Amino acid sequence: MTGTQLRARGLRSREDWIPYLFLLPAFSLLLMFRILPVLATFRESLYSYIFSASGPQHMFVGLDNFRRLVQDPVFWKSVKVTMLFSLVINPTQTALALGLGLLANQRVRGIRLFRSIYLLPVAVSLNIVCLIWRLMLDSNFGMINGILALVHIPRQPFLGAESHALWSIIAVATWKGVPYWTIFFLAGLQGISRSVLEAAAIDGANAWQTFLHITLPLLRQVILFVLVADTIINFVLFIPPFVLTGGGPQLSTNLLMLETYRKGFLYGDTGGAGAISVLLLAIMVVIITIEFTMLRARET
Amino acid sequence: MKTATIYFLLFLVAAMVLVPLLWAISASLTPLDKVFANVYPFSWRALVPLDFTWEAYRNIFQGQSHTAESVAPQPGFGKPVLTTLILALGTVIFGGLTCASAGFAFARFNFRGKSLLFSLVLLSFMMPMEVTIVPLFVIVSRLGWVNTWQGIWVPGLVHGMVIFLFRQFFSEFPQDLIDAARVDGASWPRILGSIVLPLSMPVLISAGLILFLYQWDAFLWPLVVAPGKDLRLVQVAISLSVQEHQTLWNELMAGSMIAALIPILLILPFQRHYVQGITGSGLKE
Repeated sequence: MTGTQLRARGLRSREDWIPYLFLLPAFSLLLMFRILPVLATFRESLYSYIFSASGPQHMFVGLDNFRRLVQDPVFWKSVKVTMLFSLVINPTQTALALGLGLLANQRVRGIRLFRSIYLLPVAVSLNIVCLIWRLMLDSNFGMINGILALVHIPRQPFLGAESHALWSIIAVATWKGVPYWTIFFLAGLQGISRSVLEAAAIDGANAWQTFLHITLPLLRQVILFVLVADTIINFVLFIPPFVLTGGGPQLSTNLLMLETYRKGFLYGDTGGAGAISVLLLAIMVVIITIEFTMLRARET
Repeated sequence: MKTATIYFLLFLVAAMVLVPLLWAISASLTPLDKVFANVYPFSWRALVPLDFTWEAYRNIFQGQSHTAESVAPQPGFGKPVLTTLILALGTVIFGGLTCASAGFAFARFNFRGKSLLFSLVLLSFMMPMEVTIVPLFVIVSRLGWVNTWQGIWVPGLVHGMVIFLFRQFFSEFPQDLIDAARVDGASWPRILGSIVLPLSMPVLISAGLILFLYQWDAFLWPLVVAPGKDLRLVQVAISLSVQEHQTLWNELMAGSMIAALIPILLILPFQRHYVQGITGSGLKE
């Protein structure tokens, strides 16, 4: 072994701890506030506050929280609403974002200005978006009813009727969400070389054929990514029902995250909220496993 | 597609985006009794503040109103704005440094447990914080941090997505520059601080924007961990003012416009960095 190699090796062992030093602050925080809570979710779901003479006590109750949950019609209603919501909103947002991406990718004059305008809903926080739409969708003096009045459609109870409320929430969340996912599609579309598209045009493919046989397959990864990431985010969507409807009317917009909040922080039932969180975690793990498999497939 | 069709669609979507925002701006600059004028049936006049006044903005910042029950959370809207700005800037600085040094370790070193630790980073940015909000609250309350700024701020300092961004950027940093500094005897923290970071402006801007917006837009966590009046952040203050005082719509929209303006002013000039930041984390592994 030469002297240089020895020195290199010595350097190595003395510096082994350096990367851990760089990781220490981030991982103490990650461990404490992201990983520990995941483990604590399971613990919390097995405990409950029991009220006794000496005040509320945090006690081990086994699977009692889950037993209460499956017997709780409010919970099942919430599951049903969340499933319907997810089945509608995720494909809708993905398809609309792809469409908007194609539109924003057109090479016409002034396209940069339009792209900036389309970025505005991304910049405005979801809370503010929902407050504005709450007034826009008001059944008495809201602007959407004002626009419908121009074509003689009677006033609609957008947020006040069971038949309308969930769809209104989907619409508002879509107004806010689509521009965000469009960013990914636009980036993907800009990565497709123009020569490929031009070659297809020379071969006599029309716009629809080019889209179907060239653009769409090349965007497959982006579509999958957006669909999965959107699904994850929408499973824990909280602000729109909280701000627009408070979960009503008749719990028709009581998404699972809102139900978790109500149980855990309004009714003090942390055990019940923990049990719902376990369910949400399980759903997340399934979706994330799919995402990881996708990532692996892309790397190889 | 014909150019005319393209423009028709471009303008249609632009109108769908702009009409609610224009109405909100207009409502915030209108006296209370005129907020819903021209809205039903709708006329373009609703989108222009015809009876222009700064009244709503004055009221929310002075914490007083022309009606008895003021919409502005006392003492005025200035306090939540200032609190949120300070916390968000703190998140950018301390969160940025924390994530940058972790990203540096992943990009530049080989060490035992690297792939396991990196998987945890990926997992933490795929798993939304909301899922674990109940136990997170229990942990933070055991620390005695309920209704404190630490409680709001510390759990949001580290972001898997931002660590990931830094790792991507630092992986492409020229090795020569690092080697030269090593030869000159610079320590590793010094290499990160005075050689790598100053040459990493694009990723610093992207990461800074993501961290700032995260804290500025934070809603559920501040609502849960700091429900008291003293530490209300922008989003929570506005939202709760609706529940407490139903009818002062112009002031509600004025507060909303302040809350919206700051992110817009940050994102629009740095569009490219913001876009590269969020797409870089999702697409280019």
